[in-house]
Amino acid sequence: MHEITVALSLLEGVETTAREQGIDRVSAVHVRIGALSGIVRDALLFSWDAVTAETICEGSQLRLEEIPLVVYCERCLGERAPRPGSGLLCPECETVSPRVVRGREMELVAMEVPA
Amino acid sequence: MSKMRVIAIARNLMVKNDAIANQLRDRFAHSGTLVVNVLSSPGSGKTTLLERTLERLGRRYHIGVLVGDQATENDAKRLSRDGVAVRQITTGAECRLDADMIAGALDGWETRRFDLLFIENVGNLICPAEYDLGEDLRVVLFSVTEGEDKPLKYPLAFNTSHVATITKIDIAEAVGYDRAAATASIRQVNPAARILELSARTGAGMDEWFSLLEEMIRTKSLAPAG
Repeated sequence: MHEITVALSLLEGVETTAREQGIDRVSAVHVRIGALSGIVRDALLFSWDAVTAETICEGSQLRLEEIPLVVYCERCLGERAPRPGSGLLCPECETVSPRVVRGREMELVAMEVPA
Repeated sequence: MSKMRVIAIARNLMVKNDAIANQLRDRFAHSGTLVVNVLSSPGSGKTTLLERTLERLGRRYHIGVLVGDQATENDAKRLSRDGVAVRQITTGAECRLDADMIAGALDGWETRRFDLLFIENVGNLICPAEYDLGEDLRVVLFSVTEGEDKPLKYPLAFNTSHVATITKIDIAEAVGYDRAAATASIRQVNPAARILELSARTGAGMDEWFSLLEEMIRTKSLAPAG
């Protein structure tokens, strides 16, 4: 549901950088989204097309890199990827591991512009 | 194909929100105001819990309430009563409150006298979880009818909350609520959360909620402003 807001923040970020660098056309935008962000891929892609109409990003590709959830297990002393739907349980030893290492990302990474 | 040039941006989308949230946190540290952000799905009982809380604490403390709602002012009306200042934030298309909306809604309000500020977030467990509103205490609610695995379905909301409150406990037996399962799923995403079970309607478990708030109000008002 907040994909529209996220798309608008992405656009704002792209436009700011584009203005600074005198860019008037963007062909692709790279984004990193963590599994815990609750963002639905298709909804974000749809929102991107909607919010970029008549902007420098019109018709651009939104390239999503989805980052799986990774926690730090205090018992295994290592990074582990919990099974989907198991909360923050270490898949090896079942210890609850509230230290989230990756999976909360919502980052605008880069943009591609015609050379 | 024409050639492309890649320009690195590396920008966290939450940076702006978090900066404003930290300004709010400073502001409320100076005024000694305890800020509580209340999250839940629609219908878990946020407004009813706040109604009972205002009845109980409204005479003893200066309380402000910010109510987020996508469309209506019904909740703000329900919460309005003597001695309590209520403001509505109608979010429209937005499914959550962000720090900028809070800062805007506080504009021109005498918040310095508040001992306690409640923020009733928009009914939604996904989007609000991402947004720091400068709160001291994040409370997530879910009722006994919602399914004991709710914390596993919305891990971020439960992981980032200090208190997980199970509401409508008066009907627990009728709906076959499984306390052990609910507690286990909360613990699975947040082992440190304080778990409360209560019924705003019958008053069961409410004393623990009130004491928690009163203790935190006291601590916050004594803490030296940073």
